[in-house]
Amino acid sequence: MITEAFWRLWSVARFEAGTYFSHLFAALVALGTTHGVPAVAGSLGVMVVQVLMIVTAVALTTLFMVYAERKVSAGMQARLGPMETGPWGLLQCVADAIKLLFKEDVVPDSADHWLHVLAPMVVVAPVFVCFALIPFGKDLMLINLDTGILFIFAISGVSTIGILMAGWGSGNKYSMLGGIRAAGQLVSYEIPRVLSVVPLLMFYGSQSLQSIGSLQQQRLFGFLPKWFIFYPVIGQLSFVIFFISSVAEANRTPFDLPEAESELVAGFHTEFSGLKFALFFLAEYAYVFLAAAMAVALYFGAGDGFFMAWIPSWFWFLLKTWVLIFVILWLRWTFPRLRVDRLMQLCWQFLLPWALVNIVFTGVWILWRHAP
Amino acid sequence: MDPLATCPLEVDGLIIDAIFYVLAAATLLSALAVVSCRNIFHSAIALSACLSIVAALFALLGADFLAASQLLVYVGGIMILMLFVIMLSQRPATVPLQRANSQWFWGLLLSGVIAWRLLLSFRQVFRFEGSRTPPVPTTIALGHLLMSDMLVPFEAISLVLLAALVGAVLFGQDLAENPPK
Repeated sequence: MITEAFWRLWSVARFEAGTYFSHLFAALVALGTTHGVPAVAGSLGVMVVQVLMIVTAVALTTLFMVYAERKVSAGMQARLGPMETGPWGLLQCVADAIKLLFKEDVVPDSADHWLHVLAPMVVVAPVFVCFALIPFGKDLMLINLDTGILFIFAISGVSTIGILMAGWGSGNKYSMLGGIRAAGQLVSYEIPRVLSVVPLLMFYGSQSLQSIGSLQQQRLFGFLPKWFIFYPVIGQLSFVIFFISSVAEANRTPFDLPEAESELVAGFHTEFSGLKFALFFLAEYAYVFLAAAMAVALYFGAGDGFFMAWIPSWFWFLLKTWVLIFVILWLRWTFPRLRVDRLMQLCWQFLLPWALVNIVFTGVWILWRHAP
Repeated sequence: MDPLATCPLEVDGLIIDAIFYVLAAATLLSALAVVSCRNIFHSAIALSACLSIVAALFALLGADFLAASQLLVYVGGIMILMLFVIMLSQRPATVPLQRANSQWFWGLLLSGVIAWRLLLSFRQVFRFEGSRTPPVPTTIALGHLLMSDMLVPFEAISLVLLAALVGAVLFGQDLAENPPK
């Protein structure tokens, strides 16, 4: 009796955070207007609150991704990882963040002062903008742009300029080499990355992540989810190219040549300490989170669950995102770093041609589907 | 739907005007920095800032697709190639640039005349009509246009681009060392 009432309540409420948030913010604006706050100021204030929520959530997520990375690597190397600070070492990353906040900010004599200060900000700011377009659940996205995917690619490209500024502004040969490598790698891998989502745009006829995600929330034969990854050949090919080039864009092993520690000390962030170093670190993990979240929104049906419709969509979304994040961490601790020429060979001779072939496959598929 | 999705349309014209003037001033300042910096890398960074602010202006005026492509092509592509070339061609110990040569007077005169004529013709062509319609997303309309009425020009442009790419590869080859077979 009681359990039945509970399930009925749950199925009505479903804990869809998006609905609750939109009601809450509408109520806040309404409360403000009844107390003499202009509607414009009210909605601007709510917008600021929403932006702060996104920034805080992303920053906290990256903090726990660092913890996850340590634990996953420890597990793969038969170690324990951080265990001392807090239960199971959970507070280790908080302690690290506080330590980085209080460290001395060293600017080398030969560094270009302005570039050295600006570079970490230029690297980290774009990634937060991208998260405004991610549909974290049903109605749970900050803004739904028609140019969604294109906008994310455009904004995240700005970070490369920050890396070049860091490489040049440090006044150090290792940083400079790291910056040049980063520019070559990021510009190259951006091309297969953009081309790998073209099949999706052709197939769904939209660039908005929300509408692509919601078009995948149907079932084939009543049980098989219509996620793009399940479409034969085009789905898997597109996802593999997107995933590999996203890992390369985030500068992570096996593609971390810009910061290869055995040859370049730490590449473009050799000369950064304290909070500036923390910002570079934050940007790297935030890009991993962004890549996983984008992959879930584009290929894994966004907030769509296999079964168990009573689980809210934001939970499914975050669950799938964390599974993909685990795969990216797994890649880092199992693959050796690529050689520079092999890196370029992979991009230009494997990923790019197959991305183009995949576009042709998708075109044939669409023609066949629309055939009379 | 989230109540704020409609918010930018409700925002008073005054706020949009204020944002426009701030962005326009920032565009001018960064453009000034491009030509007045004595360090070529600083100039390039100022140019990328300038192009990004122009993208923000496009977004403010409702051209969302143009804003995204401006960022993708200019800031994410061309500026990075320019910075790359600067990094490859100069020593980190920067050589201060000469900002002007003996022809500065005639250059100033010519650019002043062009600016004056542009201002005059802009004032003739663009008059504020008094109705401010909220910006409409342009991406879908653009996509339909490119695939229907504008298909032939679109394909012609891509052919030109392809020819440019092939030409670049041809120029990039060292023909003396590897003669074409």
